Amino acid sequence: METTGQLLLTVLMGAFLLGVAAFLARVEDWRSYTPLGAGGGAVGESGYGHAEKPAGLIRWFTTVDHKDIGLLYGLYATIAFVVGGLMVMLMRAELTTPATDVLGSATFYNSLLTSHGITMLFLFGTPIIAAFANYLVPLIIGADDMAFPRINAIAFWLLPPAALLIWAGFFPIPEVIPAQTAWTMYTPLSAGVGNGNQMNVGVDLMLLGLHLSGVSATMGAINFIATIFTERAEEVTWANLDIFSWTILTQSGLILFAFPLLGSALVMLLLDRNFATTFFAVEGGGPILWQHLFWFFGHPEVYILVLPPMGIVSYVLPRFSGRKLFGFKFVVYSTLAIGVLSFGVWAHHMFATGIDPRLRASFMAVSLAIAIPSAVKTFNWITTMWNGKLRLTAPMLFCIGFVSNFIIGGVTGVFLASIPVDLVLHDTYYVVGHFHYIVMGAITFAGMAGIYYWFPLVTGRWYQRTLAKAHFWLWMIGTNVTFFAMVLLGYGGMPRRYATFLPQFATLHQIATLGAFMLLVGGVIWVYNIYVSWIEGPHVQSGDPWRLDETSLNTAEWDWFDAKRETSLAATDGGEEVKADGGEVVDGAPADDAADDE
Amino acid sequence: MDENPGLSEEYRRASPWPLFVALGLPIAELGILFGLVPLAVGGLLLFFGSIAGILRENSYVSSTWRGLAALSLVVVALGLAIWYWDGTTQSDLLVRAYSVLGTGVLMLLAGVGGELFAQDAEPTL
Ligand code: HEM
Ligand SMILES: [Cu+2]
Repeated sequence: METTGQLLLTVLMGAFLLGVAAFLARVEDWRSYTPLGAGGGAVGESGYGHAEKPAGLIRWFTTVDHKDIGLLYGLYATIAFVVGGLMVMLMRAELTTPATDVLGSATFYNSLLTSHGITMLFLFGTPIIAAFANYLVPLIIGADDMAFPRINAIAFWLLPPAALLIWAGFFPIPEVIPAQTAWTMYTPLSAGVGNGNQMNVGVDLMLLGLHLSGVSATMGAINFIATIFTERAEEVTWANLDIFSWTILTQSGLILFAFPLLGSALVMLLLDRNFATTFFAVEGGGPILWQHLFWFFGHPEVYILVLPPMGIVSYVLPRFSGRKLFGFKFVVYSTLAIGVLSFGVWAHHMFATGIDPRLRASFMAVSLAIAIPSAVKTFNWITTMWNGKLRLTAPMLFCIGFVSNFIIGGVTGVFLASIPVDLVLHDTYYVVGHFHYIVMGAITFAGMAGIYYWFPLVTGRWYQRTLAKAHFWLWMIGTNVTFFAMVLLGYGGMPRRYATFLPQFATLHQIATLGAFMLLVGGVIWVYNIYVSWIEGPHVQSGDPWRLDETSLNTAEWDWFDAKRETSLAATDGGEEVKADGGEVVDGAPADDAADDE
Repeated sequence: MDENPGLSEEYRRASPWPLFVALGLPIAELGILFGLVPLAVGGLLLFFGSIAGILRENSYVSSTWRGLAALSLVVVALGLAIWYWDGTTQSDLLVRAYSVLGTGVLMLLAGVGGELFAQDAEPTL
């Protein structure tokens, strides 16, 4: 870089460091006369600071409280979900016509495709799970906080820079273009080889951002493992550790082995791109090496994303079935089994690469085997509901939606695990349908179940029940319309990752887009509902808003909530009319009756 | 580590440092990867300075300056490593090596100097 540029950068960097120093001085001052014991700064009636006050804002930037950090993760994941969702809406709009009539350029489509995948998996999926885990695990296992609160905060704050780097190509920076490598970043394309434009720094920035998000996930995982091992209250033993913490523990173990590997592979790729190393060059390790490294991370990653949502469903679904989780032990065992097996299946993503057929067959065997523990869980959820006293609240609906979509996603996965079938369906929309049934239909649904279920716990208020149900039905129908159309497109031979297609696929693509718009409407309703209810939803009227005590299914986090309510000075004005979602008694009549009439 | 949140009176639910650890890392990475000296130097200072701050806050070290001096060894080692790699590849890594080494030396000087001369400025945490 020429001298003026370096000078400018130096001045900017110097100014930035001075700003940091000034901020630190101010914070140190603030700390010397603000009592910090109770969570630092102004605390509103819901227990959270007022973000508009300067003191409140500093509080969010400096917090190491696991609940605050959980909320920050939640906000972050929501923003990423909206960004990734809007990206894919542009793509679906493009796919309403066979040519690139809408976006005008396949290049832009490819950029959106890449960014959508990475945003949803790394900036929405992993963080939304961390949001639940941070907020809830310490409460459930009776810990004061995470084992390493500051590392917890560092892990979160690495994510905003990661997002900026990953999206950098879309910002109006001269000569920086977005990556078009797809989320799998296959070499040689991603190594910038050839005459394409993937040697652009936009790709380097994305790789760096991804690397950062991996560092963040690894730090978080270490923290959860340490917390669950060492910070449990005395009465919480391994024998009665709850199912959600079990899945977080297993997930953290997977992260610990998978993400550092991704990080190393990314560094190798960056070195290939910038310093002429030959890790993935034909004359060096070869392009297939990338696929092995990537999928050795990538397959465990899909279970990293699905195990905690399974934990949420296993945790929430029994509460509205009026009975305990059926076969608790086997749900835990199957979690552990999936955790171990998930490292032995990665080459099922590479069946079509011409690897040794004997290797291929063994990966097929393990891939089919991993369906067994997944099925064990499914049967346990169904048997939990069997003959139960179901309450079809919004969280319960999302749990049932999860089970239903997971079955379709899992069964399509088993077919892909079979080599002959995969050779036909690989790189078609069938694969896209398969994994979206899981990442959207299952993982995101479980996230929504969790959000609605713990909304009263976090905010002390109720969401709007009717809107929540509208959200559910739009999503349940939208998911199946969109992704079943993709399964059919795959059967028809429509290849994935194309901005254009043959006219014969138009109808199914238009149906998929229709479903996607239902998802968009549902998503808008969700954001609106959460936002408005957080601010002005009716207050919950008891420490047990879901009336779990009646079926003896209460859990520790609600005891904490109850205790907090009782000690809180916030007066509950009983005059409000509360529309509880199948939970508390409303106006003298049990909310069950209210819930029954829909 | 025997960090015991909630038990030790040192424990607080707020700390200014994590945010800057997290900002320092990507800035340093960008600087080193693309050979942008100001970013490399500034990012490393921010990253390791904030870690030193955390070490002090946790009482793992008795003063921020000592932490800084200790961490400077890590940075110097990294700089030496890049210097060594420069000899093993065709790419020119010298600018990167010097900026990392320079930052390490700067940190060492600041650490030693601060420890000797700036005791009073150390905020009483
Ligand atoms: C449980 C959660 C699951 C998730 C989150 C998941 C996710 C994914 C994803 C993201 C892909 C696409 C990879 C790509 O870009 O090519 C994929 C492909 C695949 N999945 Fe799954 N999957 C899950 C379950 C399963 C199960 C239970 C099986 C089999 C027993 C399976 C077998 C496959 C196979 C064989 C492919 C490769 C298809 C191809 O590229 O030709 N998956 N899965
Ligand atoms: Cu897989």
